[in-house]
This record gives sequence, C-alpha cells and structure tokens, in this order.
Amino acid sequence: MSIVNDARAIVKKLLEEKQLDGVLGLSCKHDEPVPFVFESPEEVDSLVLEPKWLFAKLAMNIVRTSPADFRLGIVCRGCDERALIELIKRNQLDEKRIHVIGMACSREQAEACLCTRPYPAIPHLGEKVQGVDPREEETAKAFLEGETIDRMQRWTKELARCIKCYGCRNSCPICVCVPCKLEDDLWVRRGEIPADMVSYHLIRAFHLSDTCVACGGCTDACPVGIPLMLLQIAMRESLAKEYEYEAGTDPGRLSPVLSDLFVEPCEVYEEPGWPDSFKVSDET
Amino acid sequence: MKLEFVKTICPYCGTGCGLLLQVRDSRVVTTLPDKKHPVAKGTLCIKGWAAHEFIHHPDRLTQPMLKKGDIFQPIPWDEAIGLAATKFKETAEKYGPDAVAGLSSAKCTNEDNYLFQKLIRAGFMTNNVDHCARLCHGPTAAAMSQALGSGAMTNSITDFVGADCIMMFGSNAAETHPIIMGEIYKGKDQGATLIVVDPRRTEVARNADIHLQIRPGSDIPLIGGMMRHILDNKLEAKEFIKERTEDFAELKNFLKEWSVRKASEECGISPDQLRQVAQIYARAGEAMIVFCMGITQHACGTANVFAICNLAMLCGHVGSAHSGICPLRGQNNVQGACDVGALPNVYPGYQSVADLVMKDKFERAWGRPLSDKPGMTVTEIISSSGTGIRALYIMAENPLLSDPNQNHVIESLPKLDFLVVQDIFLTETARFADLVLPGSCFAEKTGTFTNTERRIQLLHKVVDPPGDAKDDFTILCMLGRALGLDYDYTDPAQVMDEMAEVTPIMAGVHFNRLGSAGLQWPCPADDHPGTRFLHAGKFTRGKGLFVVPGYTPPKEMPDKDYPFTLITGRMFSHYHTGTMTRRSSFLNREVDKAFVEINPDDADAHGIQDGDKVRLSTRRGSISTTARITPRMNRGAIFAPFHFSEAPANALTIEELDPISKIPEFKACAASLVKE
Repeated sequence: MSIVNDARAIVKKLLEEKQLDGVLGLSCKHDEPVPFVFESPEEVDSLVLEPKWLFAKLAMNIVRTSPADFRLGIVCRGCDERALIELIKRNQLDEKRIHVIGMACSREQAEACLCTRPYPAIPHLGEKVQGVDPREEETAKAFLEGETIDRMQRWTKELARCIKCYGCRNSCPICVCVPCKLEDDLWVRRGEIPADMVSYHLIRAFHLSDTCVACGGCTDACPVGIPLMLLQIAMRESLAKEYEYEAGTDPGRLSPVLSDLFVEPCEVYEEPGWPDSFKVSDET
Repeated sequence: MKLEFVKTICPYCGTGCGLLLQVRDSRVVTTLPDKKHPVAKGTLCIKGWAAHEFIHHPDRLTQPMLKKGDIFQPIPWDEAIGLAATKFKETAEKYGPDAVAGLSSAKCTNEDNYLFQKLIRAGFMTNNVDHCARLCHGPTAAAMSQALGSGAMTNSITDFVGADCIMMFGSNAAETHPIIMGEIYKGKDQGATLIVVDPRRTEVARNADIHLQIRPGSDIPLIGGMMRHILDNKLEAKEFIKERTEDFAELKNFLKEWSVRKASEECGISPDQLRQVAQIYARAGEAMIVFCMGITQHACGTANVFAICNLAMLCGHVGSAHSGICPLRGQNNVQGACDVGALPNVYPGYQSVADLVMKDKFERAWGRPLSDKPGMTVTEIISSSGTGIRALYIMAENPLLSDPNQNHVIESLPKLDFLVVQDIFLTETARFADLVLPGSCFAEKTGTFTNTERRIQLLHKVVDPPGDAKDDFTILCMLGRALGLDYDYTDPAQVMDEMAEVTPIMAGVHFNRLGSAGLQWPCPADDHPGTRFLHAGKFTRGKGLFVVPGYTPPKEMPDKDYPFTLITGRMFSHYHTGTMTRRSSFLNREVDKAFVEINPDDADAHGIQDGDKVRLSTRRGSISTTARITPRMNRGAIFAPFHFSEAPANALTIEELDPISKIPEFKACAASLVKE
C-alpha cells in the first residue's frame, strides 16, 4: 500500500504548495474508482492507482476547457505519459500546463499489456521493471509470426467479429483528428458490420502507426476481444530499427513520418548525408 | 469548472453495462466505459458510447401539456395531476374499474414500475397493466415459468465461458447484445462449439462453427427433429429425465411425428446437418442455449420456447454453471418491469393475481381492495380502446411504432376518452395524448434496473431533468397521492424496501446492498449473496415439465401476390422505436434512413438494384423504403428494421397473436417488394 500513500503525499504537497490547480487521477470516493480532478489537498485521501486507466485524452480536454492559467497534474503510467508527449508534439496540448506524476507498472501488469516499456521517464512511484517482448508471448506470436496467409486468416477471423462500436478509436489516447477519417464516407461504409477490415481497421492502424505508444487501450476497449494493439507492433518495430524512433519517448524529436522530402531525414536528429541543393552554401 | 464522473447503467439493451457519464457544468458531455463493471468490463457498444447524446436534446419535453383542440398548451403540474386523477376516477366510476388501463415501461426503473402497477391495481381495482415485454419475451415468461418455474435467464453472462456448446436460436447478438456476444466468442475461443440457427446469415452466423439457415418459423420442426434423433440414438440424459422431470412420455409421443427427414424438409436444411447438430448439443458436457426474438415473435412463440426447454431437459443441459437456457432480454429493464409486476396476471415476484392467498396478501400490504381477474395485455388494451378501455395511462412506451399493424393502433387511440402519455420526447404515441407529462431519462433518476441475467443494479442521478420535467418517481407519487393512495415515499430506496417485503425473490435486496456489482435474484434474505444460476439440483417448480409444443407454421405464407416472407428486427446503431437513438447524431449518422434487406438473386428477379427506392407492402399497408442487397438474406426472405417512423415496419406486420402469451407474429408475414 505504500505506493498509494506515496502518491497521496506527492499530490497533496503539489496542491498545498499551489504548484498545480488540479490533479487528474482515480478516486474511490464513491465505492469504486472513477477519474477525478483533485483540487484540494483534503480530497486526496481517496486517490487510488488501480485499475489501469488512460488519462491523456481526458487531460487534453480538461486543459482545453479550463482557464489559461490552470495547471493540471496527471498521475499516470509510462504509456499514458508517452501519449501526453505525443499530444504535445502534435500541438494538441501545451506542455507548460501539465505535470506528470509518473508511476511504474509491475511485471504482471507489463505482461498483461505486452508492454515493452512499463515505466515513465521518471518513476515517482513504484519500481522500474523489465518490459516484455511481445514476440516472446505465445498468443501474440500467432498474430505476428508465421506465413503471411496464416496471419491473414488469423486476423480475418478476429476482425470479422468487429461490431463497429468505435471503442478502439474512442479509447485511444492519441486518436484525436477532427473530423475523423472513420466518419468519412470516402473510406468507411456506414451502417454495416463488421466494419471493413481494410478501410476501417487498417486506416485506423496506419493513421496511428508513428504515434502509437502501445498502451493497449484499443485492445482493452474491444468488446469482442480483437487484439488490436498487435496491429501496431510491426510498424513500431520498424521505426525503432530503421530510425531508432519510439513514439512518446523523446519530446524533442518529431516522427520521421512528419519530415518532408526537402529536409529528409528530419533535421532535428541528423543532417542529411548527401548534398542538399536547396541549402545555400556560405562558401559560394 | 468542476468535472465529475458518475457511474450508472446504460439505458439501451438488457445487457446492463456499467458506464461513466462525464458531467461538466450540469451537462453530460461524454460517456466512458466502466472498467470495474462485472458485465461490461470496460467495454461498450456503439450505443453505449453514445448514451449521453440524447439527454440534452432540444426536443426534450419540459412542461406538462394539455391538448386543446389540436394544439398542446402548457399547464401547471398541479392542474395536470389533478386533471389526470379526476379523469381516471370518473372513468372508473362511470364504466367500472376495468375501463382504466396502464402501459408501464421497460425503460423505467424497478421502483417506477412497482409504483405504476400498484397505482393501477390499488388505485382502480383492475389488473389492466402491461408493458412491452408482451412484444418480446412474453412467450418466454409463459413457457419457462410453466416448464421450469421461472421465466428468467437461468445462468449468468460470464457462464458462456466454460460451456462445450453454445446454441443460439434467433438471436443476432452481435447487433442487439454486443457485449454478451463478446462473452459468447470468448466461450467459443475456449472450446465451445458455436451453433447458430437463423434464417438470416447474420454476423453471428458467419462467425459460428455451424449455421443452420432455416425457413422463418420452422423452429419446432428443427428442435423436434433434433430431439427425435437424440432419442433414436439414445443420447438423452436418462438419469436427469427420471430424477428431475415429468411428463416425458407425452414428449416421446409427440416426437413420433417428427422424423429427421420430415423435420429437415420442413426447415429447409439437410438431414445430416440436423443430425450433426443434435449430436453436438446432446454430447456436450455442458451446453448453453441462447434465444431471442427469432423464437418468441411468432404466433407459436410460446410453443417454440417449450420446445427449447424440452431440448435442454432432454439432454440434462440446465441447472449447472455452464448449462442453461438464456433468453436475452431486449430492454434495459424489461426483466425488472416483469419482476416487479408490470404484467396483467401477476403481482410483483410473479405471484398470481388469481390466487386468493396472494390477493389477500397484497390487499393487506397495500390497504386497498384488489381484483382477482387477470387484466388485459398490451395488444388487447390497444384493440379494445374506446370499447372496453376508456382511459389509458402510458408511461414511456411508444406502441404506435412498436405494436403490430400500425393503422389499427392509429384508429384505436383516438377512440379513448382520455389518454395520458408520460415520456421524455413527444413520441408518435404522445401526439395522440390528451395530456402529456414530461418525465426523466436514465441520467436524471435514482433507482434500479435489472439486466437479463437478473442482476439488480443501481442507477445514479447525474443531472436534473430539463425545465419543469420531473423524474417519474415524483410524478407517480404525485398522481398516487391525488388518487388517495399512500404514496408518501421520500425516495426510491423506500420503494425498494417495500418491494422486498412483498416479493420473496427480492426479499434481501436493498439499495445499501447493491454497491457497484448489484445483486442477482433470487435473493431471498438480507444475508443472501444472490444467485448466479437457477435450478441447481431442483427446478424452481420442483420437477421440470415437458410440455408438448403444438406447431403452427406462420399464419401468412408467401403467395403469388406477396411472394416474400418479411422479418422485422433491430440493427446495431438504433434501438427500438428510435426515440433516443435517432436523436443521437453519432448513431443516426451510421444509419439515417429505413431500409429493407433482400437477397441478390431475388433483387435481380425483381429488377431491384442496391439503393433503389422500393415499395414494401403487405395486406396491412405499405411503406416506401430503400433496398439493400445482401447475401445475408436467404432467397424468399426479406428483412426490415422497425426503428424508422417515416417508414414504419410495423405498418406492415400482422396482428396474429400467440394464443397463450398474446405476442404478435413480428417475424413472419407475406410481403411484396416493387421498385418505385
């Protein structure tokens, strides 16, 4: 229980010292935990840390709808922190208005989420544990490895169960486009289930391919148990391999996908290795 | 700016998912799933995610209105209540108590329904109270309580995981009970064989191990053939039949006429397939049956449910953790509305009104003389409007769209001397009212809903009703007092306590015990933990009863003039008469107009293309709708959802009633389809 007490002490202090105007976390004031914005130190005794709850999108909406000087703290896990960083990088959230109270997950939780990085940048709460390699896990393997045709069949069988609840989109902490492509008649046919495998699920997956922080919110929200997060693994791995890039880990570095052809690859991390005809040389 | 999240229960189907409503400045802005909810476990369907969208809709009724001439004019509450009480009393005095009737609501809480039926029974000395359960699981209640002793789903939703076989009859759960579908898939993934019986190739059917695409209405031949095969091959549960059931000999006799060959011909599938399915079900260690409107909405609906009970008892598949019979209830609180007595033949807790001991018990509890004559059903109340029934009180029901043969309803309602409709929107039915009372929606009240697995769950009030609207509990209390009843309740918890006193199955249920997981009845005492599955060791009625299911094919078979069989039902983004979902922009965006599904070959033969405007007609009426060509339909069958008031499928349906439960045959009538 000490980790909960630590969390309460930290949040209480931040509120008492008026460093923050509110802290978003879980409160069990009424029996079961629900999200809550703690605004006074007295309320903090009801703060709890379980179950896993993703706050990034909520935090974004709270900051957007509160006065310009309102600063919000968020008690969150590694994945949620990475989601917040992605929202900041995409100009959805002002980093000066938030403060993260980071919490490391246990090994069991990491295993349940197939999480490669079950801790925030600075774990204020809990102990950092080793992450999980999804490719080591038996059920995940079946979706990630083997012959293309087998994987295709496996995914088809799963996605044929889709009931088009939009839960994967709604629960994703960084799925924030307005208007949403999934509500665009050009892409997704209305009024029929299952939602189209290519135009709904793959558009959603690719739309998030360089932003996905592998929090597993989509998988958790799926009523029919489609392991949607696994759709992202290949792309995440390839970004890590080709560009040493992982979404949400470095606030200063934009996604390689965002760079344009003129300054390729993105200038924030490397000068192009070939002569750049658009760059006016000082020497001429 | 204070943001709040309040846990409550979804207002749509009978699954009863928990959800969180996010409130800012007295407005509900978002819905989120409830991660700790025992049924939903942090998931929601499309309707659940959009559950907040209709709450603050500008069409909400905000004040009582009285019709003067053809125009509704606002009147104060005290006048409205006074007028209603006077009119109902006058009617009862002039024409006798049975001239008054009430339609209660499966959308309202248990407490609202209890007060409603008590108001009708104790206030007027009549049992003319019913609700839309008549139009969905009336046959289930009738047949299962006769055969097993209880009309409710025998098991819990989580019990699908662990079964060896799950057999679904006439249930498109992927669209109508999506969260339950998730549990069924989980059961399948963990080893259950999933068998689906449906004339439509629904998503559920496509994802099943076996799909039997039978002719509409041929369930009894199918089950008869299965049972015959099981007996012929000695696969029946002999011990179970001997120890726990009675009248088996009569069933055996009945099965003589259902050879596998005759049965398979009747339902249009191969004899081998029928045999295979019979063997899988009979040989399963534990097996669950799921059924829904495809079984009940027939003129032989009650017999269909008897057939299902027979099949389950024949194989001993009832009364254990993963074996049972699961009718999936449609409305969020249709289970509860039945439990608390919003039915013409029973008091709360299914205690018969014709039983003088019960009558005496309730007369003492309520301090008023009661009638021992069972009342009229929904369909009877509507059709005797202006003759038997003179004054009608409708709480949150929309029979104009939900009842069969709409033209008949339109002709009947104006014949009433006095019609009161209490609702949140001016529904198609409310337009016919003399007096309209503005009620409250799920987010505006405290109380309980009971889901399909008998779980009584607490609702929390999130916001106030709009304008001058009041919550239904308050309205019923005001009207009750105006009628001289002891309706001095301070809150719904008190109503629950009174219900517990008179209702043995809920005797141990009190608000302070419900917490966030609720309680599953039977819960007969304050220290009873509730019941996960029924009929363990012994049936509620003692011995399980085999009742011979008399088979009647659909009343109207296709012919030269009307070559199709029309099936009506629901689709995933809308709910029932669309009052709420069609006012939710996200749901209405998904499907914003009526359609009819037709097989590609049939469409070809009739020169119809996808998206064509078509005229869909039956002997009752005709509507203009849009063709949707899909291989989901078998040749000869077409499907139309009933959510759309501009093209109401129930203008077409037949009023043929099941003789026992009085359910109309919504699932089969002869129809024609031509391009407009």
